[in-house]
Amino acid sequence: MHLKIDLHPETFEPLVCLEQWQRQLAVQGYPGSAAESLFIGRVRPAAADGAPLVALELEHYPGMTERQLRQLATACGQRHGAGSCLVQHRIGRVLPGEAIVLVAIGADRRGPAQRCCQELLEALKHEAPFWKREWRRDGSSAWVTGNTPL
Amino acid sequence: MGEPTVDRIRILLFAGLREQAGWGERHWPASAVTATTLTPRQLWQALQLPGPLDSVRIAINQQFAEPDTPLQPGDELAFLPPISGG
Repeated sequence: MHLKIDLHPETFEPLVCLEQWQRQLAVQGYPGSAAESLFIGRVRPAAADGAPLVALELEHYPGMTERQLRQLATACGQRHGAGSCLVQHRIGRVLPGEAIVLVAIGADRRGPAQRCCQELLEALKHEAPFWKREWRRDGSSAWVTGNTPL
Repeated sequence: MGEPTVDRIRILLFAGLREQAGWGERHWPASAVTATTLTPRQLWQALQLPGPLDSVRIAINQQFAEPDTPLQPGDELAFLPPISGG
């Protein structure tokens, strides 16, 4: 499986990353996938309690986060027979509306592509060491202790 | 000649746990003789870290591990509060 994983300390444009990834695959001679599924996650404008959100801070565990993402993506891709997998994830201070995560899966059919995309997204939300802190207008902040409902 | 002797365990805390504890990194002495008896659970108690141990996950050398996994000299031990990625 073709696999690319990046952590971005600055803003990234998911569709630009996707285009670059597909160009890279083409250069490598990969013929492309019949089915592609992608997910883009963006920062909400409100904190968990509904208060306006100024920014979300993403902390990670350098080394383990990258290793864990690679393990999760490899295992998930193999389970579903995916041909390509792209994972892009923000770290640092992320503003409302900005992308936090992009997962793009290429496979032979829509079923495996969509299932792999959803499964990998859920896996990285729960099994890759990232932590979110919500910053509010009054300068206060709070660590998020769980994930939003599916 | 072997590898240089590594006689300590590196302990890392993250996010809210780091702020509650007031530190993010410490080293704990661990000789080759005593290290076999050290576990993450024992260090959690010895360091008086806040809250119950089952509220966090444990990683040894950047792989998830169990609270009673024996630690070796030179290991990197991390206590991870609830994860929220993506």
